[in-house]
Amino acid sequence: MNRSLRLALFVVVALVQLAVAGGAIVKSELALRTGEAFRFRIQPVDPVDAFRGRYVAIRFAVERAPATDDLEVRSGGTIYVPLDVNADGYAALGQAKTDRPRGSSYLRLRAGVVSPDEEGNRWVWVALPFRRYYMDEDRAPEAERAVWAGRRGQREASISVRVRNGVGVIEELYIDDVPIHQWLAENAQDR
Amino acid sequence: MGRLSIRWLLGELPKLEAEGVIDATVAERLRAHYAEKTSGSGRRLVVAIFAVFGALLIGGGVILLLAHNWEAFGRGTRATIALAPLLVSQVMVGWVLAKRCESTAWREGTATLLALTVAAAIALVDQTYHTGGDLESFLWRWSLLLAPLPWLLNSTAVAMLFLASLAWWAGAAKVEGSQILVMWPLAAAVVPHLVQVLRSGRRGLRAANLQWAIALFLCVAAGLGLDHRVPGLWIVVYVGLFALMITLGAASRRGEEGLWRRPLEVVGFTGSIVMWLILSFDEPWRHIGWKHIHTTERFHEVTSWLDLVLAIGLPLAAIVAMALLLDRGQHSLYLLWGISVPLVAVVWPLTAATDSRWIGAVSFSLLLLVVGIATIAEGVRRQNLGTVNLGMLVVAMLVMVRFFDSGFGFILKGFAFILVGTGFLVANVVLSRSLRAAEEEAK
Repeated sequence: MNRSLRLALFVVVALVQLAVAGGAIVKSELALRTGEAFRFRIQPVDPVDAFRGRYVAIRFAVERAPATDDLEVRSGGTIYVPLDVNADGYAALGQAKTDRPRGSSYLRLRAGVVSPDEEGNRWVWVALPFRRYYMDEDRAPEAERAVWAGRRGQREASISVRVRNGVGVIEELYIDDVPIHQWLAENAQDR
Repeated sequence: MGRLSIRWLLGELPKLEAEGVIDATVAERLRAHYAEKTSGSGRRLVVAIFAVFGALLIGGGVILLLAHNWEAFGRGTRATIALAPLLVSQVMVGWVLAKRCESTAWREGTATLLALTVAAAIALVDQTYHTGGDLESFLWRWSLLLAPLPWLLNSTAVAMLFLASLAWWAGAAKVEGSQILVMWPLAAAVVPHLVQVLRSGRRGLRAANLQWAIALFLCVAAGLGLDHRVPGLWIVVYVGLFALMITLGAASRRGEEGLWRRPLEVVGFTGSIVMWLILSFDEPWRHIGWKHIHTTERFHEVTSWLDLVLAIGLPLAAIVAMALLLDRGQHSLYLLWGISVPLVAVVWPLTAATDSRWIGAVSFSLLLLVVGIATIAEGVRRQNLGTVNLGMLVVAMLVMVRFFDSGFGFILKGFAFILVGTGFLVANVVLSRSLRAAEEEAK
């Protein structure tokens, strides 16, 4: 293969590499700057990734959305889940649909299995895309402990999320409604 | 001219000189000429190795620095930091492609750096925005972005990184219960690079390194890729795979010296010994075959068929490769190790039909014993200590494994041990006698 063709192909590959990394930046920035804000209550766990450093792992108490009787979706298929706000101010998953909802904020998610509960209501299981809150390697373990203490009922942990066009990006991790960095600074003496 | 050929030529010089084919000055000039050549190629090799390791360390350092998570910087700064090293290494690779394409050190070094800065960029974006999911998703995106690079940049180091990342992804995805069929077509991205490398120098270090990576990848991928709908097919797949590696390694061998330059054979022999030892227990043979096809779980249709294709294709390919070797006539040792293929072709269906666990276990114990002793004998015949040791290792491992095997009764175990012990003594006597005879002959 001649040199200029190889160089041209490499330029294409290089642009794809930049587009993948840059595209993720643009998508996330758009959601963070213009998306609607929601707050999710969380249950967190465990913390390290060889490439991306330390993080607070996030789990949700319930990860299923109500499904209508006519919802037909295969496991692994795409569904759109509108976001509602509960009386206590936290986000709740609305009725799952196979086409994009209009007028309200929604998340584009991968469907798990659809199954009825004891009362006969149908639910579709989903995996919310908010899995990790990356932090400074010294602070992540402290934050983890704080959030774990929350699980035992002493503290409440939650994340705020910005949602735009089906894309959700985590904005902040809260302990008792205080942003995590502020909370760690305030509680420095207790540790 | 390769180093081996040069060494051969230099070895021939005294004879040529003595026979009057060339005179002393010509011989001296040839020596001086090729001495330069060999030292130069050695130096180039060292430079290339340092370039790759330098790039690995720098790239790894960048990833570690970014993993620390510099929260003090704003999102904009961190996005810039994510893209800057990627852009720099892209420009470096572009410059190398345009100006220094012939230099292995430049190509491999900058390509390695690019591969790692790609990882750093996607990792830092994930970290900054708390997106990107788990490790599996990260490794998948990295593997995809690496796929065209080995061929495009003619870089073996990146090919090795790519295969490692892909195997790691497949393992992580399998644990998560995801479908990994796409691993095979993606892995095929290294094939054009393999052709590239074999064409430019099949005895070279790059060819050896790449074959190591491919052989090890196949060992992992064959296991991960299986769907296991028909239980026990892995036995046929792995026996076939290792036999194929041994015979392909022997068939493509052109006088390479040293174990590092014969990866297919090394992985094939090691894999075979481990596999046969496992199969000499009765446990792997429990509930295998068509009578025990899983029907309750959900399986992927294509992957199930692929299982079957591998289970038939790999042993068949091994047999074809063996037939090629047979044609050349001087590879009795390799053919001996290939016996496992016809053996498994008989034992597997027999076990599946009768549900008897012992046919397989006993067959493979006998296989280990027979191949071990025959390898020792072959080593003695060729006066090759390495081969004798290989045979000894096989028999010794078999004995050790059986000693700890609780499946056999004490009486059976006792007899077997006495038999193996006697075998060792006999082998010893034969070996020492033949060595003594050879020594006397030499005198």
